[in-house]
Amino acid sequence: MNPEIGHYALVLSLAVALLMTVIPAWGARTGDAALMRVGSTLALVLAGFVGLSFATLVVAYVQSDFSVLNVVENSHSAKPLLYRITGTWGNHEGSMLLWVLVLAIFAALVALFGANLPARLKANVLAVQGSVATAFLLFILFTSNPFTRVIPPPAEGQDLNPILQDIGLAIHPPLLYLGYVGFSITFAFAVAALIEGRIDAAWARWVRPWALTAWAFLTLGIAMGSYWAYYELGWGGWWFWDPVENASLMPWFAGTALIHSAVVMEKRDALKVWTVLLAILAFSLSLLGTFLVRSGVLTSVHTFATDPTRGVFILAILVFFIGGSLALYALRAPMLRQGGIFAPVSREGALVLNNLLLTAASAAVLVGTLYPLALEAYNGAKITVGPPYFNLTVGALMLPVAFAMPFGPLLAWKRGDLAGAAQRLMAAFGAAIVIAALAAYAQGGGPVLAPFGMGLAAFVVIGAMAEVIERAGFGRVPRATAFARLRGLPRSVFGGALAHAGVGVCLFGIIAETSWNAERIAGVKVGGSFEVGGYELTLDRLEPRNGPNYRDLVGVFTVRQGGVEMGTIESAKRLFTARNMPTTESGIRTMWFSQLYVSLGDELPGGGVGVRAYWKPFVTLIWIGSLIMALGGALSLSDRRLRVGAPKPAKKPKAKADGASPVPAE
Amino acid sequence: MTRKGRRLLVISCAAGVLFVAAGLVLFALNDTIVFFRSPSEIAAEGTRPGTRLRLGGLVKDGSVQHTDGTHVRFVVTDGGADMGVTYVGLLPDLFREGQGVIAEGVLAPDGSFTADSVLAKHDETYMPKEVADALKKQGVWKEGEGTP
Amino acid sequence: MLLWIAFSLMTGAAILAVLWPLRTGAAMPAASTAEADLAVYRDQLAEIERDRASGLIAPAEGEAARTEVARRILRASAESGREGASFGDDRRRRIVAVVGLLGVPLLAGGLYLSLGSPLYPPQPLAQRLEGQPNPSDIAILIRKVETHLEANPNDGRGYEVVAPIYARIGRLDDAARAWSNAIRLLGPNAQRETGLGEALTAQAGGVVTVEAKAAFQAALAADPNDPKAQYFLGLAAEQDGQTAEAAQRWSALVAASPPDAPWLGLLREALARIGAPIPDAASGPGAADVAAAQSLTPEQRDAMVRGMVERLEARLAQEGGDIEGWLRLMRAWTVLGQQDKAKTAAGQARTHFASDSGALGRIDALARELGLGS
Repeated sequence: MNPEIGHYALVLSLAVALLMTVIPAWGARTGDAALMRVGSTLALVLAGFVGLSFATLVVAYVQSDFSVLNVVENSHSAKPLLYRITGTWGNHEGSMLLWVLVLAIFAALVALFGANLPARLKANVLAVQGSVATAFLLFILFTSNPFTRVIPPPAEGQDLNPILQDIGLAIHPPLLYLGYVGFSITFAFAVAALIEGRIDAAWARWVRPWALTAWAFLTLGIAMGSYWAYYELGWGGWWFWDPVENASLMPWFAGTALIHSAVVMEKRDALKVWTVLLAILAFSLSLLGTFLVRSGVLTSVHTFATDPTRGVFILAILVFFIGGSLALYALRAPMLRQGGIFAPVSREGALVLNNLLLTAASAAVLVGTLYPLALEAYNGAKITVGPPYFNLTVGALMLPVAFAMPFGPLLAWKRGDLAGAAQRLMAAFGAAIVIAALAAYAQGGGPVLAPFGMGLAAFVVIGAMAEVIERAGFGRVPRATAFARLRGLPRSVFGGALAHAGVGVCLFGIIAETSWNAERIAGVKVGGSFEVGGYELTLDRLEPRNGPNYRDLVGVFTVRQGGVEMGTIESAKRLFTARNMPTTESGIRTMWFSQLYVSLGDELPGGGVGVRAYWKPFVTLIWIGSLIMALGGALSLSDRRLRVGAPKPAKKPKAKADGASPVPAE
Repeated sequence: MTRKGRRLLVISCAAGVLFVAAGLVLFALNDTIVFFRSPSEIAAEGTRPGTRLRLGGLVKDGSVQHTDGTHVRFVVTDGGADMGVTYVGLLPDLFREGQGVIAEGVLAPDGSFTADSVLAKHDETYMPKEVADALKKQGVWKEGEGTP
Repeated sequence: MLLWIAFSLMTGAAILAVLWPLRTGAAMPAASTAEADLAVYRDQLAEIERDRASGLIAPAEGEAARTEVARRILRASAESGREGASFGDDRRRRIVAVVGLLGVPLLAGGLYLSLGSPLYPPQPLAQRLEGQPNPSDIAILIRKVETHLEANPNDGRGYEVVAPIYARIGRLDDAARAWSNAIRLLGPNAQRETGLGEALTAQAGGVVTVEAKAAFQAALAADPNDPKAQYFLGLAAEQDGQTAEAAQRWSALVAASPPDAPWLGLLREALARIGAPIPDAASGPGAADVAAAQSLTPEQRDAMVRGMVERLEARLAQEGGDIEGWLRLMRAWTVLGQQDKAKTAAGQARTHFASDSGALGRIDALARELGLGS
């Protein structure tokens, strides 16, 4: 396919996005249904053109069309097909195109599935989405055009950065972008509502599915990125507090707060001003992430290339959208009518606490990420804010969140009964203490806090289940009735419980891995062995192997535990010939939820190699937990039925006479 | 409780949480930041031993010695001054002589530097920004010259 | 052509996206805000009913929830009358249609013409590699030869073809290797040896290395008149400090060359560099040169003047009979601060005019005036 088709499609997209910004907005302003409807067709056509443009670029990559500069700079004909395809977004220009593609797809989805939306809101949402698309299309066309041609074309490309030649690149950025950019829709909803000047419970109902979608994808994207860094970088770490990781974590915190506060807004018509602010913040933080990654102001694994004009351009986009939306917010927020009231101890109160802590965590990450930049601009001092800062702040803010998590769903709307909730959690609490005791016994003299963490994680998981059991009424009503109720429970209840359990699972993995992991660095000759985490690893042989565009030096290790052979691990040092660049291909052996992780270092002067080996107990639970969280989000999303908050009447019911104590519906 | 009173209670709880969070951030920030220094800056400022630092510069040509399997010594230079670094562990893939590097660790009393982590650039066209700035200051490297 | 048709179709689709919803027949009143709100609240009410029926919430709670939702419904219905959605004011529709019809093609077309490269065809690698390659696609030509040589590593012709191309695009290692292979497989000749020598010299940054020198000598052995080998051997001599040998080789080469030989300029430069006499034709500074000199920076002007002086020197070295020229040269070198060159010029002039006492007198007088000694 001719790359020029893609180029023209991109230019045409800009024209379409521009019209999509103006026409539906005008229609909404004048109440002209025809004009408003133009927004929907334009959104579909925009997604079509950006998709065509992206597809053309993919084809250029697949066919190794070296008359396209972007392909020359980031591809190589010897690369396997999969990495030729994924290479499309493994570079600045291509990834920005993917970014806009996701943006356009979300706009098209609103156009297609937003039939239940009021026409005016829908038109304004599409107009806002169109304006974001316009800004980023301008950015792509004028500073990062992926369709620049080279004449005469070279015969071979410069290859993709070897770190990116991995299946992880196929999955991580698209998922992350679906999350990042998904929040553009909630942003558009917020701005559209502010333009109209009216926000009510129904608004939250419309925004929630989009926020949930974006949140679930962002969760998956972050988890995937973490696992990718874990096995590809060869350092054995799964989270580095790298600025770009932080950039994805900030919108995640804000988004998590948003999906919770939107519930309050939908059920109780409360927290409106706050929810709208969160919707704006989540996307603003996504934009900030894009700026940090693409401008190269921060040193990071993800920095593709630095070009000052790009940085300034994105900064301008950032200032326009964040500044503009916040100004609009400041102007309109005071006009919004206040909604329902609630006591501090209530479902709403618990969600407010969750929101406060999550946004505080988001702010702490923001401060830690930007502080070095600010300080350097202020007095030129170069500093690093490292993991200790983030571990301390985020850890301290997330522990109360985890502890409060099982309580929230057990509290009634409007006015809750904390003692009652605690009583219902007794079983979970007991189980947590047992697990903490087991952990303390198992670890012997390990870190003192580890058993507490384990107990907390168990409390979260079991507490999440307790909610479902409690709501079905097991133990209070006949079993058959309870099962019937269980079946009748809305899916969002299961979704929420599942997501909360996922948090617990993830927490368990994090605490187990950080407290109990074992590391061993050794120089090993062939036939030599060493011990890590109770396993004995023997280097059987070192052998060279050839791949399509790389050469491997593979170390084959035999794993034994107590003299019994458990299998082998292969770990490699890989040299990519096109760029003459080595990478580490770590060897990982999963045993239940734990992993043995081996990476090879340099060959040593006296023969043999440097080896770094880790024993990582329960490490996979970190990602499994994240998957469960995202799954919970998906389950809630599949709940088409609308749930409504049933506020507890102000006077305490005499009740319990009928045996079924009032259990709050969600 | 009145409607107003409730709202006030919620807001004051929120303010309390935020206050604690802000305190936490300030406390952590004060305690955990690490300064970036080039060898010349350390020489000029007379940094106290025991200070935790990020040391950045180029790995001096011919200075890398593997003393045994995992102990490494090398010299970081920025053209103006040199600093010896000892490190136990595996060096990153792109650690090469004559290339940019960042070592994080502690300044030893004998004036050498004990690193507990060593970072090299992530690909061959990329130079850690701090290192690039430090080298520019020393006139070793100029913008547009490509990476040394 | 096909490309332009595709562009038109795409543009047409974009325009249609604007025009289609504007057509009057499609008038379908869109949901008003209040209606959409009411739909949500009615759903919420139904939900409460269901929950209450299945015992998920207590009757009292359900009642309270109902009241809240009912209040929302009341509010929404109160607002429902306020907004009136119209369909299609004609003037607005016309404006939008015109913007779509003109704006889309103008904006997209204009922008594309300034950014795009519609005349460059796609160049998938497979297509470039198969069949008769485009003769201007040097990169692919090289690649095809390389692929061929990988399969037939003993085809000396292949190496001979690709070697000069390597040299021209700056792949000097490959050029030297290809020339060595050609020599190994086809036997030495002057062209191959000089090619090798040249590649080695370029690789060494202009220094004629021992290997390069050996190659040039082998070339001369094959063809004693090979000008390139002569030149580079002269260069080797100069770099070894053997100026006399260099001068001798180069002068001989000049003498043996036809007057329009392309390498004469290079040789003159080289001879001038080592201060040897050169035989040549010449020209003084033209009016254009002077005019150009006005607009130059001091450094540039200096370089330009120096170039003119060197040209003068080269001309005089070849045809020494111009006394005015020699005097100008002496003056010029002095002005440029090159006293020794001026002295050399004076000495050379004296040898040229040894038999002309009038000229000798003028030379001596100027030398004294310029402080060059006798």
